[in-house]
Amino acid sequence: MVNMIKREDILNIAGLSKLFVEENELDNLAKEMENIVKFADEINNAEISSDEFDNINGLCNVLREDIAKESFDRELILKNADGGKNGFFQIKNYNQ
Amino acid sequence: MQSDGTITYIHNLLITKKISCYELTQKYLDEIKKSKLNAYVNVCEESAIKSAKEIDKKIASGKEISLLEGIPMLLKDNMSTNGIETTCCSNILKGYVPIYDATVWELLKQQGAVLLGKGNMDEFAMGSTCETSCFGGAKNPHDISCVAGGSSGGVAAAVAGNIAVYGLGSDTGGSIRQPAAFCGIVGLKPTYGAVSRYGIIAYASSFDQVGPMTHTVQDASIVFDAISKYDPKDSTSCKNITCDTFCKLNNSISGMKIGIPKEYFEGIDSEIQKSINQAIEVYKSLGAQIEYFNLPELKYALPVYYILVCAEASSNLGRYDGIRYGYKAENYTDINDMICKTRAKGFGKEVKRRILLGTYVLSAGYYDAYYKKAQNLRGEIVRAFKRAFGKFDILLAPTAASTAFKFGMTSSNPVEMYLTDIYTVPVNTAGIPAISLPCGFHSNGLPIGMQLIGDNFSEAKLLNAANMYEMKTERQFLHKTDMGVKI
Repeated sequence: MVNMIKREDILNIAGLSKLFVEENELDNLAKEMENIVKFADEINNAEISSDEFDNINGLCNVLREDIAKESFDRELILKNADGGKNGFFQIKNYNQ
Repeated sequence: MQSDGTITYIHNLLITKKISCYELTQKYLDEIKKSKLNAYVNVCEESAIKSAKEIDKKIASGKEISLLEGIPMLLKDNMSTNGIETTCCSNILKGYVPIYDATVWELLKQQGAVLLGKGNMDEFAMGSTCETSCFGGAKNPHDISCVAGGSSGGVAAAVAGNIAVYGLGSDTGGSIRQPAAFCGIVGLKPTYGAVSRYGIIAYASSFDQVGPMTHTVQDASIVFDAISKYDPKDSTSCKNITCDTFCKLNNSISGMKIGIPKEYFEGIDSEIQKSINQAIEVYKSLGAQIEYFNLPELKYALPVYYILVCAEASSNLGRYDGIRYGYKAENYTDINDMICKTRAKGFGKEVKRRILLGTYVLSAGYYDAYYKKAQNLRGEIVRAFKRAFGKFDILLAPTAASTAFKFGMTSSNPVEMYLTDIYTVPVNTAGIPAISLPCGFHSNGLPIGMQLIGDNFSEAKLLNAANMYEMKTERQFLHKTDMGVKI
């Protein structure tokens, strides 16, 4: 199963992961990833008796009742984002 | 038998007024300041002193205090603490101050715990040595040229170095048990769903579990009973939890069936093997029945674990975009550029590696071969353990294949580092509980740990079996380092 991992693959995955990768990191990352995938590939030698597996404790999805509860104060939430602006999160206007 | 420095010992000092909570807390804070272990990344001096003085007032007024009241402790830095910076030891979360408490901290606070500070850890709990922390690794109190283990290395170092009475760690693939073994303390990884994960900064949500790191099994039982409670805020928290392990600690274990999985002994250090064999003899003398057996599914546990945790991490860590909290890149051209640059600069190397791997195994073309296959194999591992517990009460195995590593030994080769988790990850993959406790010393002077593994929600049985071993061996492996607070 193991495919060679190329520089383009790393760029593609990095794009999906929203991670900026420097040009000079690409070769090393490709090599490292290939080694890790080679190690992970061992699972493809395994036989499985069932392909029905949901989760480890037999839990099922439960949605809570749709009842509005008290939440956090907006100002408090925005404290970790330099206070925000007019009650919103703010990022720089990149057209400026 | 050593019992000083434990929760019950200090509790007795407090209620008999041999020491005030203020004096006690101050002793710990003074030693933390002097310590070279790099165990704490944030010390809460002011709030600790304030809590201690309130508890002294309560004692003076003749009111009863709980066992955990006034006991100085620490939390791993991935546990949210209202108003106290919580960084996960990552640059991307530096300066982040939670606006709510993790449920485990809320429960301990209700019991009057005195929080000394936040414990060092591998960045986002990704590592086995604590070296991926943006604050540098925590040092092993038994030999400071060695790591404390990871990822809960700071908590292990603080407890073993006597600069906290106990702490809470989290265990995704061994992060409580391995540092506990490396530092010669007790670490319990509870059953998935036994302890609330609300407010614990997520790494791999279907693996993460919070548990106590303590000097003794009795202490682990006290702390576990305090934090194991149904929590409606965590949808995977179990409703039928019975947290009364303490009263069963001294039950006889005569007739208990203990299985020894042979696969755990492949490639193990001979001195560790010898210590485990001696522990097996102790269990025989306590009347337990010992049987060796094969658990061949274990060989897939490590790759299954790494595929699934990286997949979950790549999703969980998607939230760090620089907009709502934490570090934000300074120069950017558009919002995508800002997010990519924030994440590239904010995350460390190992975190980025795991996000990339997780994204790879979830991406089109690889999902079936890796993620789906690993998920199904996880089912095989769960069933293999279930079969074992049809036959045995508990399993006994080493916690780690070696004693603590020297700094810098494994961090250059990621696969080599992942392989060191081989004895701890099967438990998290199956969601079952396990406890690591000291069982000897290597000729290199470092502690050796063994783990007892149980079926879902068998913490009482595990703690009982661990306690009986500790009593029988008169806590002789609880070797206290000569650093830190002396009580």
